[in-house]
Amino acid sequence: MRRACLAVLLALAAATTFAGELRPFTMDSLPAIQQQFAGRPFILTLWSLTCHHCAKELQMLGRLVSSDRNLPLVIVSTDTPAEAPEIRAALKRFGLDRLDTWVFADAVPERLRYAIDPAWRGELPRSYLFDAAHRREAHSGLLKEAQLKDWLKRQRAGEKYIFKGRKQRET
Amino acid sequence: MADAENRPKLTVGDDGVVHVSWTQSLGKPMSAYIRYARSNDGGGSFSPPAILNDDRQLISHRFDALATDGRGRVAVVWLDARSRTAKTANKSPQTDVGLYAAVSADGGENFGKNRRVADHSCQCCRTALTWTTAGPVAFWRHVFGRNIRDFAIANLDGGPIVRVTDDEWEIDGCPHHGGGIAADGRGNLHMAWFTNGEKRKGIFYRRVARTDFSKADARPDMSAPLPLGDPARQAGHPAVAAAGDRVLLTWREFDGQRFSAWAMLSQDAGRSWGAAQKLAEAAQQADFTLPLLDARQALVVWNTAAEGLRVLTVAEARP
Repeated sequence: MRRACLAVLLALAAATTFAGELRPFTMDSLPAIQQQFAGRPFILTLWSLTCHHCAKELQMLGRLVSSDRNLPLVIVSTDTPAEAPEIRAALKRFGLDRLDTWVFADAVPERLRYAIDPAWRGELPRSYLFDAAHRREAHSGLLKEAQLKDWLKRQRAGEKYIFKGRKQRET
Repeated sequence: MADAENRPKLTVGDDGVVHVSWTQSLGKPMSAYIRYARSNDGGGSFSPPAILNDDRQLISHRFDALATDGRGRVAVVWLDARSRTAKTANKSPQTDVGLYAAVSADGGENFGKNRRVADHSCQCCRTALTWTTAGPVAFWRHVFGRNIRDFAIANLDGGPIVRVTDDEWEIDGCPHHGGGIAADGRGNLHMAWFTNGEKRKGIFYRRVARTDFSKADARPDMSAPLPLGDPARQAGHPAVAAAGDRVLLTWREFDGQRFSAWAMLSQDAGRSWGAAQKLAEAAQQADFTLPLLDARQALVVWNTAAEGLRVLTVAEARP
């Protein structure tokens, strides 16, 4: 009975897509993410279980998410899908398990790295700040919380400005 | 366990003894022990594996490097987080990870007490160790000042920590990309490393001529950093071997689709170099390249997923 319940639950989980899923990141994923954030700024953060600094970065992002539910944040682990349980546990620990999260899924992960940015040499954490036009700013190492908040504020002010501009044209 | 630059080490001394060291994962992320075993019968059988880190805490002891003088002395270094405490864990900029060493004087049967060689090292790049005419010399990515991740050398028998690169790479993160070192038996050291610093980016070679790092006032006599490979193809993970006047450099490149193995040979102790040679390509995943060198042959060992383990010959370019 218990096993049957579990099977039903698992089937449900497999059939339903909801935020908090750990999705395989492939060659097409970044364009898909950009499509999802079309016309909007977002933050792409790459991390790994083997990276000492990444835990600090996730902790900071978790803090930010808890005070800003609409944080446009995409988190990508450069580990492997086989490490999904450990990745999920780490994301949960930092309160990031309800976001869109991804894990590198390619037999040659360097291809994914290169497709994201040929200038990125694998150092972690690595972040990209995409503005509304998706011009991006790359950053290696820990992001500073204040810096990120400031960037978000500027991006959101920019969004409002664009929105106002449209309205003016409409009237 | 083995991941990226964290891999098992094997070395055979002139006395024929085979030494191996590796990192044993303890389950918890980044927690590991440093293990060691030796074989006196050419690899037919091995001693029971010893645990070299004498603190036995479930914390990070990783990125071991191994060397022997071939006459009974064996040394192992690794990155060790034992000085990290709750109090210091958030006290930036201290990394609380240091370089530790264990040295044996009886062919690896017993190791002396662990010794802290350096505090405040980078946490996730490979370390390197070579036996010079003046003893075992370690090479690792250190943290200078607030957060400058450049390379250092120290003689394990004593002497200062000497900064040997000035790339000025400031990063509050994990490079996952270190360097290698080799002694040529004539007092010179040859080093190759990766950096993404303010002053230079990519992989480089540098020769250190006859410097005794066991001396308190050791001032290395170094050549200018020589860039290697094609930065546009992500030339990376360089390694170096030296034997007398012969020095072999090897590295890996990646063009976005395929990996390739490269090498370069010097016949005059690193003063001048033959052209860079592309040795092979790999269709799928590829390991880093490993150099093997003696007076007659220059070889590169490359393990790749599709092609298997290959031993590639480097063409001799005689002047």
